[in-house]
This record gives sequence, structure tokens and C-alpha cells, in this order.
Amino acid sequence: MADDKRVDELGKAVKEALDKGEADRVVGLKVDSDGSVRPYLWVKGDDVSALVISPKYPLSTVYRLVHEKHPDMKLGIVARGCDERALVELSKRGNIKLDEIVLIGIACNSDEAQECVCHVPYPTKISAGDKVEGVDTDELLEKIKGMSLEERGEFWSYYFGKCMKCYGCRNSCPLCTCKDCKLEQELFVTPGELPPEYPMFHLLRAFHTVGRCIGCGECEAACPMGIPLTKLYKLLRDDVKEMFGYEAGMDPEAEIPLLTDLTVNPIESGEGGA
Amino acid sequence: MNDENFEPRILVFCCNWCSYAGADLAGVSRLQMPSNFRIVRVMCSGRVEPEFVMRALRNGFDGVLILACHIGDCHYIAGNHRTAKRIPLLRKLLDHVGIDSKRVMLDYVSAAEGEKFKTVISGFIDDVRQIGPIRTGLKWGA
Ligand code: SF4
Ligand code: SF4
Repeated sequence: MADDKRVDELGKAVKEALDKGEADRVVGLKVDSDGSVRPYLWVKGDDVSALVISPKYPLSTVYRLVHEKHPDMKLGIVARGCDERALVELSKRGNIKLDEIVLIGIACNSDEAQECVCHVPYPTKISAGDKVEGVDTDELLEKIKGMSLEERGEFWSYYFGKCMKCYGCRNSCPLCTCKDCKLEQELFVTPGELPPEYPMFHLLRAFHTVGRCIGCGECEAACPMGIPLTKLYKLLRDDVKEMFGYEAGMDPEAEIPLLTDLTVNPIESGEGGA
Repeated sequence: MNDENFEPRILVFCCNWCSYAGADLAGVSRLQMPSNFRIVRVMCSGRVEPEFVMRALRNGFDGVLILACHIGDCHYIAGNHRTAKRIPLLRKLLDHVGIDSKRVMLDYVSAAEGEKFKTVISGFIDDVRQIGPIRTGLKWGA
């Protein structure tokens, strides 16, 4: 990564924010002498040459947790496009305050954008890197869309049948912040059953991503069984966009459509009218 | 899948203020109706979490019908607005994973619409009969 000039640019921006006192701490990644990378709270005086940007990590979660403990701290964060969108959704749900964030933005390069199939691979404020085009083509997604109902059933039965209920998908999700998770309620998900009864576990989680999933891909990256979770969530994101014109994480002013009545967020297209 | 003798098992969520009264009216009016449905009365259709519907399907109901007050008539003003948004999305989700979304329907029945209650129920049961019995377990769906 040393040859990535974004790291230097980012280091400078982090140092500047700390030196100028814009931020008391900055959430970012740090590489240790043994080469392992971990989330870290950068503070004034730190040697920012140990700052790194990969592997991709859900830093918005770190931000949220630190903010919870230290609500008065001026907190900065090194944020990619998805991190910022996660912060937008967290802010809408009262977890954090968007206008308090010292955002040090980094644009993803085209390889990264490709890997994440990311539609907006940059934050609104960029301190390091240059904007690249978003990626719209998704082979597997297109394949799924082309399947018959029967084939889709087979496809997801196959993958969900591999699930070992590690909860990694939920735990890694920056928007899964509920203290009481329905995936742990006996009424819906029987404890000790493997694979978790299809479809309860996966449909429940999928429905709960509606209007909040920003497509960061952390769930799928965390899944040890290679279940293509983001494809299902992307289909739902498209539905929400079509029905309400809502795209999670994009517009801080837009109201969460499932939490309002029809006068605020009418159903723009598709079924559902009275 | 279409077994001639198949009679689907249907769960109906009715809200206390409109559709349950509508069902009651259909009953006291002695309208002829199929008998293979069970009603769960909820205070508001907005109480019907998508999880309830999933659970009903998992437990072997072949179809789930959610009946709400007409938009504008909700006893709690906008409870049914939530329903009107959620259920279509749930149906999309079912469709994405290969479960026929016609197994889940949302409709609106007022306290005065005993006749409509009958029509909606009968139509829904016919539709589900066409789709056939639900398969539970891992090979879920269709
Ligand atoms: S892509 Fe996965 S981890 Fe990211 S917000 Fe959506 S559900 Fe959560
Ligand atoms: S991360 Fe994968 S294996 Fe673990 S619970 Fe989620 S879907 Fe199942």
C-alpha cells in the first residue's frame, strides 16, 4: 500500500485536522509493527505514517461506538463513500449527529469500486484520491433477475442451506444497531437449529435491511459461507428506490419511507394503493 | 402441484375496527364462504409485522391475507399507511427468493363491507389453491 499516494494524502489530512484542533480524535486504520491492521483512534502527535486504508473496515461502527461513550468528543473519521452513507443513515436514526462529524473522505480506486460493485465509490468530501465512475454492471445479479421463480427458490435454498448462523452478517453491518435483535428471539428463530430454518432467519434479516442498507458489502465479506447476501439486499434497495424514490445514505434530508405515513412518502410506483 | 383435492390453509389478519367488523357482518349476513381460513384479530393492520407473515408461512399456512381499513379510515389515523408500505415490500422479498408472492395479499375492507370480505376471501383462496401447497423446510417456496 505504500505506493498508494492516497495514504500520504490521508495522513496529511488527518494530521492537519488534529493539529488544528478540528478533531480531538480521528477514527481510522493503523498498521502495527507486525503488519496487522486494526481500527485506531488517531490523536495529536501520533506518527501518521502508520495510517493505512486497507483492508476495508466498517469504521462508521467504530465512530458510533466511540461517540456513544464520548458524546462531547470532537470526532473525526476516515470515510469512504459507503462509510459516509452509513453515517447518514445512523444519523437519521439518532445514533450520531451528522453535522458533528469531521469527515476525512477518501475516494476508492476503480479496482475497489469494481470489487464492491459500488455505485458511488466516493464520499461527498474528498481529502484523498480521485473520483472514479460508479459500477452498475453486476453479472450475478443479472443472472438472478433472469431466473424463474422456481430457479430463484433453488438458488437461495442452496445458499441459505449453507448458513451456520454465526451472525457475522448482522454483527458486521454498520446499520444493525438494535439492542434487541429479532434474530435472537425464539419466536422467530429457533435456537440451536442449523442451518437456521429457511426462510425465517434470512428473510427476517433481509426485511430489516430495507430502507437502511447502503450496500457496503460488509455482511457478505464477513460471511464465512460465501452466501451472496448483497444481491438480495440490492434487489430490495432497487424496490425501495422504485416505490419511494428513496436511496439509503444518499440524501440526509430524505425521510425514511417506512417510518412515515403516505402523505410524506407516497408510493410512487408499483402496487400498494388503497 | 395442482392437486384437485387440495384445500389451502389460510391465515387472515383483520384489524379490530374495520375488517374484523366486516368479517362479522359477513357472518351475521350468513354469506356463503369457504371455511378454510382462520382469523387473527389485531388492533391495527399496522401491528402485523412482516415476521408474523413469514412465521405463518413457515408454520404451514399456504396463504396469508392482511385486511386493513381503507386509507383515511384507520382508527389510529395512519397505522394502515405502514401496512400499505410494508406488505408490498414483503411481497417483493418473497418473490426475490422464489416464494410466490400471491401467497400474501393486502386488501382493504371496511366495517360495512361484509360482501367485499366474502369476495376478497373467496378470491384469495382460489388463487392460493391454484398455486398449490406450500413446501416448508429448506426446500421452501414455489
Ligand atoms: S451491505 Fe450488508 S453490511 Fe452493508 S449495510 Fe447492507 S446489510 Fe448492512
Ligand atoms: S454471515 Fe453467513 S453464515 Fe454467518 S449467519 Fe450470516 S449468512 Fe449465515
